[in-house]
Amino acid sequence: MNPRVVGANLVVSLKSFYRAKPAMFFTIAFPILLILVFGALFMNQDNMSFDLCVQDLDHTDSSSQLVKTLELEGKFKVIRIEPSVNAAQYTRDNKSSLVLTIPKGYEGAFLQRMALNDPDTSVTLTYLYDLSSSLVFMKIHILNWVFSGINQKMTGVPPFIRSAETSMLARKYRFVEFFVPGIIAMSVMILSLFGTVHLNTELRQKGVIRKLSTTPITRTDWILSNILYQFILAVLSTTAMLLVSYAAFSVSLQINAWLPVFMLLDVFAFVGIGMIITHFTKEAESAAAAANAISFPMMFLSGSFFPLEMMPGFMQTVARILPLYYVNEGLRASMIFGDHMAALRHSAVIGVFAAVVFILGIIATQWEEDQ
Amino acid sequence: MTKKAEHAIEVENLTKRYGDLLAVNDLSFNVRQGEIFALLGPNGAGKTTTVEIIDTIRMPTSGKVNLFGMDVTKSKHEIVPRIGVLPQGFSSFDRITVKETIQYYSRLFSCGNTDIDGLIELVNLKDKTREQYKNLSGGLKQRLGIAIALVNDPEVLFLDEPTTGLDPRARREVWDLMLGLKEKGKTVFLTTHYMEEAEFLADTVAIISRGKIIAMGSPEALIESNAKYLVLTLRSVDEKAFDIVRKMGFESVHDNHKDIRVRVEQMDDVQKILNTIQEGRASLLSLDVRKPNLEDVFLKLTGETLHKEPAGGVAQ
Ligand SMILES: Nc1ncnc2c1ncn2[C@@H]1O[C@H](COP(=O)(O)OP(=O)(O)O)[C@@H](O)[C@H]1O
Ligand SMILES: [Mg+2]
Repeated sequence: MNPRVVGANLVVSLKSFYRAKPAMFFTIAFPILLILVFGALFMNQDNMSFDLCVQDLDHTDSSSQLVKTLELEGKFKVIRIEPSVNAAQYTRDNKSSLVLTIPKGYEGAFLQRMALNDPDTSVTLTYLYDLSSSLVFMKIHILNWVFSGINQKMTGVPPFIRSAETSMLARKYRFVEFFVPGIIAMSVMILSLFGTVHLNTELRQKGVIRKLSTTPITRTDWILSNILYQFILAVLSTTAMLLVSYAAFSVSLQINAWLPVFMLLDVFAFVGIGMIITHFTKEAESAAAAANAISFPMMFLSGSFFPLEMMPGFMQTVARILPLYYVNEGLRASMIFGDHMAALRHSAVIGVFAAVVFILGIIATQWEEDQ
Repeated sequence: MTKKAEHAIEVENLTKRYGDLLAVNDLSFNVRQGEIFALLGPNGAGKTTTVEIIDTIRMPTSGKVNLFGMDVTKSKHEIVPRIGVLPQGFSSFDRITVKETIQYYSRLFSCGNTDIDGLIELVNLKDKTREQYKNLSGGLKQRLGIAIALVNDPEVLFLDEPTTGLDPRARREVWDLMLGLKEKGKTVFLTTHYMEEAEFLADTVAIISRGKIIAMGSPEALIESNAKYLVLTLRSVDEKAFDIVRKMGFESVHDNHKDIRVRVEQMDDVQKILNTIQEGRASLLSLDVRKPNLEDVFLKLTGETLHKEPAGGVAQ
């Protein structure tokens, strides 16, 4: 890589961008519009509530009382599973992220504890969960919080140390907050993909690429310049989106180093795909059509607009093969839940994908007119 | 290091196929260092294909092309910094100014020492330095393209139809520019379908038709060996005049409905033709006698005129 060459390209791209007012407007206004329209649409939606699957093997008054407490205190939407069902199988079939099992003998243990005050009796509730969902840790947190409340009430002594989690959990999650990271991931994808395809097909058609092939610029320099340029645009539009989100909906999101990391991986992946598309299409129109064909399903199937849990099982399976899904989930894990482990896992997946696409993009970018 | 070649360019049995189409058919020629070499031929003859194989934009199907003694298909990295290219229909970034564009290309070549203002002066774009590319006229765009081709101070320049689409004045300016470059010792490889351009500029002309070189040499030698006659052009609105000329047995072609071009061996023939027309009481608007040019050479060799557009439109 030659930094001078990449720098020269960047200067030309940014100047062209700055001097083309419609492109500038589109890059900034389009994401803001999305945030405003959808944010307004969802603003009055209730606080986010999580689904919780509960299998009550005890089937007694005490156990249903516990389920009610979870519903009320944890603000869960409880889905009851028949005792005859295999919980593990159910989790897999229904793509539910967490199943809580109340064991047989719950009421017996409960009464023994209450009536006889026997400190040795306890009951073990089982969580069966799927790590790949970003919501699962949230649910476990809430469950633990509700349970510790119950435990404490039963001992009758006020707690000495109050967990910091208590205050965090008291926080309300709003749908808008869930929505903003998805829109960021999606806008960065759209801008990178269409920006790259448009720029490269135009330059190819005008013969600029042919001229460039008689200069020392390499394909790697060229793609890196494209990536850097799109990343700068991504920073610009994301900043605009965040400002609008804060101003219009007073969202509460955690902005940390994961945000630029996921933006960069998003850009890498979709600039790479843009390069590959440019290579395999002859005309600008078919290139744009191919970019549409890739980005539209991605937008709707990868959970940009709504939590994947709201979608049927097979669609959740589809989502997991879409690169944008990992950007969505990674950004949500870091921006909403502060879950760095989940962010790391998602960034690894999209990182590998971006690297592969980047290399394919370099191979696909050919300077020569023909072979 | 590369060996010093006496020829800047050596082409041997160069062939290029696009599927079934044989665009360039077994070309062999050399270009001497410091000369202006013109590839002259009509649209679709294979000029762009040939020049773009030599300047490393395209790959040949077969044959060998050496630039500075290096194989163009293997030594692109070494060759590119030493050549300057003006591709056919040159185009650049719409919203970037003249000066910025030259700066950009100079950075690609990592030439910190390019005399950008000097280049701007050379191509006479001084009062347009801050003009964006999209606002330039065709002639200015071509001149900018030539300036860009010069940012790395190349030894060999490739100019693919540098004056196509320019008005006569702009064309004249580009010609002067090329002569200036030759004076600086640069080798210029030029393609054109303008006979006057090749005749005026080139030290060596290669006439190409349907992918084959059909004649090569200095313009004077080509004319001398292929066209030892005079060209008489008669203009008339009287068909009788044309009938008379045709009946006299001279080789002739109609340029259009008013003009007829006649090949005559000597001035006496002109006298004879004029006398006969006068005796036949046919009327003439004008007449013109000139020495033959490359156009006539091309006509003689191919039976076609240079400016005839081939069916299927203009090729790239
Ligand atoms: N990339 C290409 N693919 C297929 N055919 C081509 C291509 N480029 C040129 N041709 C064909 O090759 C022939 C020679 O074209 P070209 O070299 O552009 O001629 P010229 O520059 O003399 O006008 C033409 O018939 C043209 O249609
Ligand atoms: Mg051509």
